[in-house]
Amino acid sequence: MIISKLKEALICFKNLRVTFPYPLKRNFEALPVEGFRGKLTIDVNKCIGCAGCANVCPSRLIVVTDRQAVRKLDFYLERCTYCGRCADVCPEKAITMTQEFETATNDVHNDMHISAEVYMGTCQRCGRCFETQTIIDRMMTVGFRN
Amino acid sequence: MTKQDILSLLKAKVGSGFIGSIEPIPDQLWVEVRPEAVIQAVEILHRQTSARYLVSVGSDERDIKKRFAVYHLFTFDKDHFFVTLDVTADPHTPKVPSITNVIAGANWSEREIRDLLGIQFPGHPDPRRLVLADDWPAEVYPLRKEFDYSRKPESHPEQAYQFKDNPPGTTVVAMGPYFPVFEEATYFRLYVEGEKVVDVDYRGFYAHRGIEKLGDQTLTYNQIPFMAERICGICGFVHNVSFCKLVEHAADIKVPRRADYIRTIMLELERIHSHALWLGVAGHIIGFDTVLMQTWRMREPIMWLCEKITGNRKTYGMNLIGGVRRDIPKALVPEIRTKISNMEKEWLAVLDAVKDDTTLRMRLEKVGILNKEGCHEWAAVGPVARAADLDMDARKDHPYCAYDAVEFKVITADSNDVWGRTVVRILETLESFKIVNQSLDALMELPEGDIITEIRQDIPAGRIAISAVEAPRGEDVHFLLTGGNNRPVRWRVRCPTYPNLPTIPDMVRGEQVADVPIIVGSIDPCFSCTERMEVVDVNSGNIRIYGQEELSRWTAR
Repeated sequence: MIISKLKEALICFKNLRVTFPYPLKRNFEALPVEGFRGKLTIDVNKCIGCAGCANVCPSRLIVVTDRQAVRKLDFYLERCTYCGRCADVCPEKAITMTQEFETATNDVHNDMHISAEVYMGTCQRCGRCFETQTIIDRMMTVGFRN
Repeated sequence: MTKQDILSLLKAKVGSGFIGSIEPIPDQLWVEVRPEAVIQAVEILHRQTSARYLVSVGSDERDIKKRFAVYHLFTFDKDHFFVTLDVTADPHTPKVPSITNVIAGANWSEREIRDLLGIQFPGHPDPRRLVLADDWPAEVYPLRKEFDYSRKPESHPEQAYQFKDNPPGTTVVAMGPYFPVFEEATYFRLYVEGEKVVDVDYRGFYAHRGIEKLGDQTLTYNQIPFMAERICGICGFVHNVSFCKLVEHAADIKVPRRADYIRTIMLELERIHSHALWLGVAGHIIGFDTVLMQTWRMREPIMWLCEKITGNRKTYGMNLIGGVRRDIPKALVPEIRTKISNMEKEWLAVLDAVKDDTTLRMRLEKVGILNKEGCHEWAAVGPVARAADLDMDARKDHPYCAYDAVEFKVITADSNDVWGRTVVRILETLESFKIVNQSLDALMELPEGDIITEIRQDIPAGRIAISAVEAPRGEDVHFLLTGGNNRPVRWRVRCPTYPNLPTIPDMVRGEQVADVPIIVGSIDPCFSCTERMEVVDVNSGNIRIYGQEELSRWTAR
């Protein structure tokens, strides 16, 4: 009985205090590691508007709307589960998961909302969005005719 | 017993009630019986063979087969296969005889099917509402196909839940719906005489999130794993693997060996940190907070390790159908080994300290007794069953991932009490360290990068699969019936707490009130797992907990 209490006390004294008064002091051992999936960002210059991300997103937070030649991608990140599937499937690697994890906010609808607008070439017959200009340019450089 | 023995036994005894049988996948036997013969068939399986009851699944198949179906799932642990009794119910007035009088463990399954699909079970001894909220209108069945997942039926606050009557001379003690030691919302109504518990009534299912419904109606096969992971905060990876295994079985997809090992490592890391968490919580419940502080401190490096491997400390998002998303690079292996061996040393120190602690043993020994027969009757699983000397472990009985290639012992105890469950969990963790090390050895020999099989064809419709994965809390069973549109027709999750929780009345009857929290804690209850499946949540008529609007804004976009 006494021995087992002493053993327990020994374990406690060996390790003393391990918690930190976050956020005043941080535990640098516990910072995000490489490969951590934090809040996502999108690089509009790379995006080709394929909407593959919207297709795979398990929580369906990416909403794609077309208005004439502009394709708008809305990311409602308050629903994000940080799975990183969008970044995985993005063919141009326009979406990346950052190291940002402190996303608590009072204004979740604005602070956790990313909107990206991509200018698309439109189909000359039906007027729907078709492909971004960068992709059409690139197709021409590899030998497709106008 | 082989599958042939079972078939001939059933054919001989059930006679004209036997319709036919198929073997959809090698480890399954699918027997169709007439509704009037189902009680007899279940009796034969339950009393005359080594079958263990798993769960009953209801399914709305009016679109494909013009029927409602009820599947009673059984497993033959030592012979490594599942038997399913398939019973057809009429599409207009669905009715199937209740088997709860034969197997007590079928109680909840049948009530759940009645609540969600409207299949009646004449002869059920306790036909009260189980899953649906108290104010949910009668005769609106949320799991039927015509019910849209975002629909909000009218509230009927005048309905109230009928608790059991007080046994004469007893006082009611309410534990819940919010009770400090239970961590989640649940309600135990104790009927006590002085300090002694005479009887218990339970009302739970306060935390439904409509997960199975979403799986049926909006998500696709590769999105469901991320949803499945969120069924439980602790054993998320187990649900995730269970679901992926289901689809892989059903569509006959071969998973790369490296992915198998990575899954095994993650499953075991999860078991390690879950048991550490449980030991801490158990200590906290009985007022021994040193254990809580120390085990949770030890647990933290394992969480960081998981973050390093997968990118998140929980809800790893590692699995897809056909494999895993991230490899464990060879450079990371030494670090995993160091962390594991550190944890093992500290775990042994804790074991050494608490095993002779008389105060601890006085609180835990001979408390919350559930013996072998009780476990069989209630179909209890996991450490609860293993502490009653039942040798069952899905890792050995239905090997999945890489468990066929690693060596470990199934830990059992014969004391039937809370102490036995504690010992089983502590020793099991030591086996987990062994499994991780063996898997890492194997990982070093396999080529890096081969972690996922690409799926080139659609998942075929109409396939059936059952998977059993050993979660830290017990055996987690998933059932799948595939459909078109890249999503299942029916996906049923039976988490380990689902069969364990109904055993609580048997365990606490005759105990002291003060022991009830630790007895409930000893099954490692996970109410979120148990309560996967509904849309609205209201507490007994007067206090509104969850707004439907809020839920639909989050889920329905």
